[in-house]
Amino acid sequence: MALASPRIHEVPDDLLAAIDFCFDQGWTDGLPVVPPQVDRVKAMVATDARPPATVIATHPATGLELSLHAAAVNAVMAGCLPDYFPILVAAFEAMNLPAFNFHGSTASTGGSAPLLLVSGPYADKIGMNSDVNLFGPGNRPNATIGRATRLILRNVFQMLPGISDKSTQGNPGKYSFCIAERARGNPWPLLCETQGYSAGASSVTAYAAGGFCNIENHGGNTPEQILISVADAMANYGCITLGQSVVILAPEHMRIVGEAGWTRKKAQDFLFFHAKRSVEGMKAVGKYRDREYDSQHGEGAHPSVETGFMHRGLTPDDILITMGGGDAGGHSCFIPSWSRGRGSIIQHAPIRENK
Amino acid sequence: MQLYDPTSSTPKRKSVRAPALRNLEGLRIGILENGKLNAEEMLKEVAALFVQRDGCTICTLAHKINASAPAPSGMLTKVAQEVDFLITGLGD
Repeated sequence: MALASPRIHEVPDDLLAAIDFCFDQGWTDGLPVVPPQVDRVKAMVATDARPPATVIATHPATGLELSLHAAAVNAVMAGCLPDYFPILVAAFEAMNLPAFNFHGSTASTGGSAPLLLVSGPYADKIGMNSDVNLFGPGNRPNATIGRATRLILRNVFQMLPGISDKSTQGNPGKYSFCIAERARGNPWPLLCETQGYSAGASSVTAYAAGGFCNIENHGGNTPEQILISVADAMANYGCITLGQSVVILAPEHMRIVGEAGWTRKKAQDFLFFHAKRSVEGMKAVGKYRDREYDSQHGEGAHPSVETGFMHRGLTPDDILITMGGGDAGGHSCFIPSWSRGRGSIIQHAPIRENK
Repeated sequence: MQLYDPTSSTPKRKSVRAPALRNLEGLRIGILENGKLNAEEMLKEVAALFVQRDGCTICTLAHKINASAPAPSGMLTKVAQEVDFLITGLGD
């Protein structure tokens, strides 16, 4: 569908009044935004070589389209600098892939937020945080790229709380949920390498994420001790489903796992096997369904599924693991999927640098 | 100061409601269930009321693979040819 020309609003030449104007239009996430002045938007969109009217994502239910121009307007409002824009574009190109199903994940009572994982050298180039206080405030690209994602969902795709966004409780990541993968001291290949991108390329991985589950273990000294703690969080009755998982290991935990020679695959296999609940237990809390058991244990079942148990996910590949956070502290995290099954699958896209 | 509008400039889709059925008697019912817990059971109960009260017939039971994604257009086109009206809704 052809996009109409971008609309321009004339407002008084007063910055505070312009901020109030944005509030009055319903364009914000509840916090003040940077008024999207024409010159700033043009500088933002100029970082992509394609025409500003290029459509990078389409809402599968309403047909609303996201152009590079509209993405740039919202990026300015969120406080992004132009160098951040390629990450935001890649994020929506990933979410636009059908298997991500971004309508469902943004409309559902499940209250998910798109978690963006930036992998590769571009994260360092723009000063993203992969280190201490990883999910916390204080870093401009992490905070504003995640915030721009939410503003686009709100302003362009009209996912409005209580109207089209029916989140029962939502989660704090709906303000911003964007991190960089930590390369320093990481014993495993970076995500962008495992995703098949060429050397030096960077990527964004998008995941329809539920809330954040801290995994504290300061006493464990073996991979098994650390990862059993993780598996237990993944399989808690409130979280266990057939959905995917994201696990961000703290450097302290990763050192224990990596120095013992464990690969990412070995850790995935271990977590998949141990993140499980018995059928009796699932029945006891009312979460057991024959259909789900059959999809995990029927034809094509992974060899390590155990009869009489529900595992989290369908295979070890459903568990994305990498490293992030500060050097000190035995605090990793598990982030459950919004989807209870295959309703949204992790997607990724390359970051196009305008060199 | 000039500010760009951050909302979509996609032209709004024109959508119209289907005309209301004048009479339900003897019509063919389709059920589109979304795969969620109890969806099929709930929709069958609703359809049974039309069978009992209006002499309708349940002709088609269609299943969505993904509850939160739109039904494939091919599925809707096929069902539209087989039934006079369709019952759908969320179940969970």
